[in-house]
Amino acid sequence: MKIRILAALWRLNLAEELQYRANFVASVLGTFFWIGTALLTLAVFFSHTTRLGGWDYWEVVVLLGVFNALTGVIEAVLRPGIGRLAGEVRSGGLDLVLAKPVDAQGFVSFRRLDIWRLADVVLGLALAGYALHRLGRVPSLAQLAAFVLALASAAVVVYALWVVLMSLAFWFVSVENLSVLFDAVYEGARYPVSAYPEALRFLFVYLIPIAWTTTIPASTLTGRLRPEIGLVAALVAGAALALARLVWRTALKRYTGASG
Amino acid sequence: MSRAAWLRRYAALIRNAWLVDLQYRASIVLWLLWGVTEPAVALGIWWTIAGEGQVAGYARADFARYFFALMLVNQLTIAWDSWYLDGWIREGELNFRLARPLHPAHEAVAENIAYKARTAGMILVVWLVVSLVWPAVRLPLAPARWALTAAAVLLAGAMRFFISFTTGLLAFWTTRATAIMELHAGVSLFLSGRLAPLALLPPAVAGAAALSWFPYMLAFPVELLTGAAQGTAVVKGFAGQLVWLGVWIAAYHVTWTRGVRRYGAVGG
Repeated sequence: MKIRILAALWRLNLAEELQYRANFVASVLGTFFWIGTALLTLAVFFSHTTRLGGWDYWEVVVLLGVFNALTGVIEAVLRPGIGRLAGEVRSGGLDLVLAKPVDAQGFVSFRRLDIWRLADVVLGLALAGYALHRLGRVPSLAQLAAFVLALASAAVVVYALWVVLMSLAFWFVSVENLSVLFDAVYEGARYPVSAYPEALRFLFVYLIPIAWTTTIPASTLTGRLRPEIGLVAALVAGAALALARLVWRTALKRYTGASG
Repeated sequence: MSRAAWLRRYAALIRNAWLVDLQYRASIVLWLLWGVTEPAVALGIWWTIAGEGQVAGYARADFARYFFALMLVNQLTIAWDSWYLDGWIREGELNFRLARPLHPAHEAVAENIAYKARTAGMILVVWLVVSLVWPAVRLPLAPARWALTAAAVLLAGAMRFFISFTTGLLAFWTTRATAIMELHAGVSLFLSGRLAPLALLPPAVAGAAALSWFPYMLAFPVELLTGAAQGTAVVKGFAGQLVWLGVWIAAYHVTWTRGVRRYGAVGG
């Protein structure tokens, strides 16, 4: 989709959102509450163990920071955009999108920007930075570069997951709450994949690739994995994106429209 | 009104809710899936932490039984009513419900019964199938314990219904009633035993939980089912459930009478 159109859409959103500044405070308070809950959860686990899947406490907190940053991207862009697809397929509202002279997948995905939720990205990265400080690690330039690459790839993988799951709406028209499926899958990304039993670990790395959303970026930052993994992450992200595009195209062919 | 008339009304309401749910059965399966993810993830983590040993007396199989029981009890006692009420009050849909000759709570109760019969049935079937291949989650055949659990689940379900309904009614005063409910859900993660059996929490937290209604929402019926609650704990558990249910019914009563008096939404 053309950058100019995207910029125009987001500028409109921004003007709209600026009217609801109280939402910013509510959003930040919500994030603090979430982070507090997540840290307490970890405290409960770590009161009975010294390591979780081989990771120590502050390493898992780095991962929580990454998780929170990605949650910001999801809540700011994906849920208000492609998250509404299921309802639109059902009601036929998608007709209006398809009639526009833009790429439908791009428009559906990036049409909205709930700017306040981007605060989660900042808070998440700050949390990861603080945890790194507590670990006493200063990442090298290569590690930082790998982290940026892995984090960008993580965002792409999350996006691809949304596209694939929401495309199911074209087959299961009556299912309004498809986005719940993403929430269920993403729940697994709160902890390093090594903290799960063997069978789940395989699932998370190869089949539902959520290992690439939080475990890998956090590992590049803490030096648990060599920086080269950033390139692998980029390849995985590229493959996921191509697959998602394919699923979207196949799914869209089934759409017959329902609006009046 | 006679008892027979009430039975007829409830039969009609439940049948109606059941048929509505039938149209949305795929959505309901997704909600169910979402509902069991959290306990499944918690089980996965405790499974790894326990390894071949024990955590505060809990071995892997104990965790498996605990979280399977939690999935079932949670599904049987969950209440979405605060979200519905919040919408009804803000958008004026409460109006036509108030105009009916039946208190709107009865419709909500009937919906809960229909929804839970369907979803808990699904979980029971899955549990049975899983227990065929995975001995860890098998429960001994103990009719007395199951009967006690059924009673505790009923009380817990009633309490969660009144908590949810009362919190939803706060929408008469604030636009953030659902945020309050989410706050409640966040606290209940720890205090009601969703994250871990209460015995695994730090003593201060477990002590605070014992003074609140949270353990009676979930942890108590779950531990009745797994057999962790025995003897005086059972008596204390039921006493706590009755006391807190009474408190929440009273809270509901106050909120409803005051709220309806100041209600003035248009539309519907």
